[in-house]
Amino acid sequence: MPAIVSLKDVVKTYRLGTVEVPALRGVSLDVHIGDFISIAGPSGSGKTTLLNLIGCVDTATSGTVLVDGHDTQHLSDRELTNLRLNTLGFIFQSFNLVSVLSVFQNVEFPLLLQRRLSKSERSARVMSLLEQVGLASHINHRPSELSGGQRQRVAVARALVTQPKIVLADEPTANLDSVTGNNIIDLMKELNQKNGTTFIFSTHDAKVMSHANAVFRLADGKITERLAPAGVPLKSVVEVR
Amino acid sequence: MAQLRILTRIALRNLFATKLNLIIGGIILVGTLLVVVGGALLDSMDQSMSRSIIGSGAGNIQVYSAKSKDPLALYGAMGSEPDLSAIDDFSKVKSALESIPNVKTVVPMGINAALITSGNTVDVALEKLRGLVRQRQQGNSDPNLEAKLKSQKEYVRQILRVLQNDMKKRSVLVSDKAIEPENVAALERASSNEFWESFDRDPLDALEFLENRIAPQASDADLIYLRYMGTDLDDFQRSFDRLKIVDGQAVPTGRRGFLFAKFFYENQLKLKAAKRLDKIKKTVIDQGKRIFPRAKKSEPSEAQQLLKDNQAQTQEIILQLDRIKSEIAVRRLQQELGSQETDLDALLKHFFDMNDDNFSRRFTFFYDQLAPLLELYRIRVGDVLTIKAFTRSGYVQSVNVPVYGTFQFKGMEDAALAGNLNLMDLVSFRDLYGYLSADKIEEVDKLKKLAGAKAIDRSRAEDELFGTARTVVAEATPGVIDEGNEKPGNLRALRREELLRRVYSKNEMDNGVLLSAAVILKDPKKLKQTMKEIAAVSARDNLQLKPVSWQEAAGLIGQFVSLAKLALYIAVFIIFIVALVIINNAMMMATLQRVHEIGTMRAIGAQRGFVLGLVLTEIIVLGLVFGGAGAALGTGVVKWLGSVGIAAPNDWFYFFFSGPRLHPWLTAGNLIAAFVIVLLVSAISTLYPAFLATRVAPVRAMQAEE
Repeated sequence: MPAIVSLKDVVKTYRLGTVEVPALRGVSLDVHIGDFISIAGPSGSGKTTLLNLIGCVDTATSGTVLVDGHDTQHLSDRELTNLRLNTLGFIFQSFNLVSVLSVFQNVEFPLLLQRRLSKSERSARVMSLLEQVGLASHINHRPSELSGGQRQRVAVARALVTQPKIVLADEPTANLDSVTGNNIIDLMKELNQKNGTTFIFSTHDAKVMSHANAVFRLADGKITERLAPAGVPLKSVVEVR
Repeated sequence: MAQLRILTRIALRNLFATKLNLIIGGIILVGTLLVVVGGALLDSMDQSMSRSIIGSGAGNIQVYSAKSKDPLALYGAMGSEPDLSAIDDFSKVKSALESIPNVKTVVPMGINAALITSGNTVDVALEKLRGLVRQRQQGNSDPNLEAKLKSQKEYVRQILRVLQNDMKKRSVLVSDKAIEPENVAALERASSNEFWESFDRDPLDALEFLENRIAPQASDADLIYLRYMGTDLDDFQRSFDRLKIVDGQAVPTGRRGFLFAKFFYENQLKLKAAKRLDKIKKTVIDQGKRIFPRAKKSEPSEAQQLLKDNQAQTQEIILQLDRIKSEIAVRRLQQELGSQETDLDALLKHFFDMNDDNFSRRFTFFYDQLAPLLELYRIRVGDVLTIKAFTRSGYVQSVNVPVYGTFQFKGMEDAALAGNLNLMDLVSFRDLYGYLSADKIEEVDKLKKLAGAKAIDRSRAEDELFGTARTVVAEATPGVIDEGNEKPGNLRALRREELLRRVYSKNEMDNGVLLSAAVILKDPKKLKQTMKEIAAVSARDNLQLKPVSWQEAAGLIGQFVSLAKLALYIAVFIIFIVALVIINNAMMMATLQRVHEIGTMRAIGAQRGFVLGLVLTEIIVLGLVFGGAGAALGTGVVKWLGSVGIAAPNDWFYFFFSGPRLHPWLTAGNLIAAFVIVLLVSAISTLYPAFLATRVAPVRAMQAEE
């Protein structure tokens, strides 16, 4: 089975003034369709950088990043944006909803950017997702009128509304209490199993990690460990170099 | 479409979300308000002034000779008259121009200025005395003549006493050096009994002494700058129907005659004390202000100053009163003031010491009791006015015209600019202008040959020419009237009478020189097109005419509103440059505040174009909403001003306002201009912040919100 995301010897260095700060120091990994993968590690280990590279919001300093067969190094800003719009979905740590838009409008937003569906199709798609995340009764609420968990569920719905192949979630539970966090992970898991959407999320919460069918542990910009929880076959694990 | 809707929705929701937007909105609102109100005011003023200019003599288009050195300036250019070449034959111009379909009428005109001395009081008194002396010399047997002569002599002696008193008072105030000893000596000689005892021996010699040495000492003599427009008065009145005769009557068709502009008549020719009282009345009774305001002010009010002037300058009145009239005035003033004072000067000073309580009563008293004893105006309707002007060829030409009355333009009664231009018949104007057209010179030469005339001595010219061909008399002789060179006999008077009585035909008026012509249009909107047609006709007929719009013809004044507009637009421009900077900064801050949101949108898949659209839509929505509010507010302000009107702050503004109040109105153009300017400024000021917004990296979405 081909990898939907494939990283090979990826190095990412940030430049802070004259100092070069290495964030990733040679990372290779493959992710396959339908995976539910957690990237673990302490703060500053390079989790977010890794997700940014997979999410096409940033490009590698060296090495190759293949997303759905596209080498992101060689794509223009426009092409990268289209890749994000059509192939990827994002769930952010701090939800990142557009505060002046309603729940419905926030979820509909990516569809408007896509300009593919008619109004009724958009409406049907949005409503079905809001039903799946249990917010069908809150469509006219503003984000500020929702709890954190509800907001993140709106964000999940928004990430999935374009039916992306991959959903990236950067610490999706960090701003939520553990029960709500678990609910979100459960919801993601459910959508993963139902739709076969690939999920890659970062976390440093062991409990959250346990839901993943594979865990890449990062430290100092390198993958130090590839774990497959008991009983789950780890398709994506590559030998540690 | 759906994208645009979401952009608009975000923009509308954001409208009141931040303080920054309110600041930007406020600037846009004030800016629009300013543009709308200022634009409407100036446009209204422009229209009003165009009405003033077009209606008070300029017409829609003026034509003048293309050979002129200076551009035409109906209201004068920097205080002097422009140097215009003459148009030789008006009739050709008239028929050519009237062949253009949009031309209603063509009115011939020419403007010139002259200095006139109305003669001071002493001059007037001496002139009268001279007249009486002359009558006696001619053997007039009127039994009252001697009595009149005696009374007039006494009056002159009284004037001399006043002048002497005045001199004494002055010598107390100023050093001896400031008083010329010759003047003192002349006054002493003129006041002496010996002088008057010997008067009858050689009255003309005595009169000359008085005229040359005494009259200039009376301070009320002044030169008056008289601007006049020579025109076909009938055509003028027909074409400018706002003209209204105030005193007297219109000049009869074909006659020589002069009409004073009422404003000029009141301001330049009226007795100064009376004029000052009129001014005080205007502020106190008409405008309800107080002479002595209840709130103490360090500066005296204008009315107080005018009263002070009246108290200081009683001489002007006293000089006018002979002994009998003085006695009447003293009696009336004593009664009015309840005073035992016998000195007229003291009584007048007392009388002019007015206050808010007695002003109205004394004002009425002045006009009812004192004015009948005085000459209120230096030149009266019915008088014959002698105007001396420099002709084209440089010698002084003098013309006598009877004053038929005064006129004013309706709605511009107090407009100084229109109100200082007096009207004169075309024939007198041509005489003063002293220009003979080529064919006229030829005609004169022919006549000279016919009559066998050679070089004509100036002093004999009248006798030489009088009685030959009439055209020659009418056209060429007025130039040789020499007022200073009086001749005995009634020849001169006869000739003068003849000229004044003569009726000139329409043909004579049309065939002749003029400086410019007013073209009145049927449809004033087609001004530009008609100007082109005039130029075409002029080229076709080789008339060498230069057509100018009323605005150009008005010279500096015509440009006033354009200048004011320019000033407004510069002010608006500066305000908007400032606004540009403020809006730019505010939008930058707004963009920085939204980096997270914009990053999120970019991460989710929004292209840069979408972000650009987001920022621009916001500013356009801001512009429309606040600009709309500003425009609505501005409309309200203009409507309100339109209903109450703006009072003209001074005489000049009467002209610009075309009346005492300006009632501004709004045009669609004002609103459109305001919107275009506001949207343009907003859009321009947002370009850089919008560009910055498109540069927000999607990765910013991942960073924690600030």
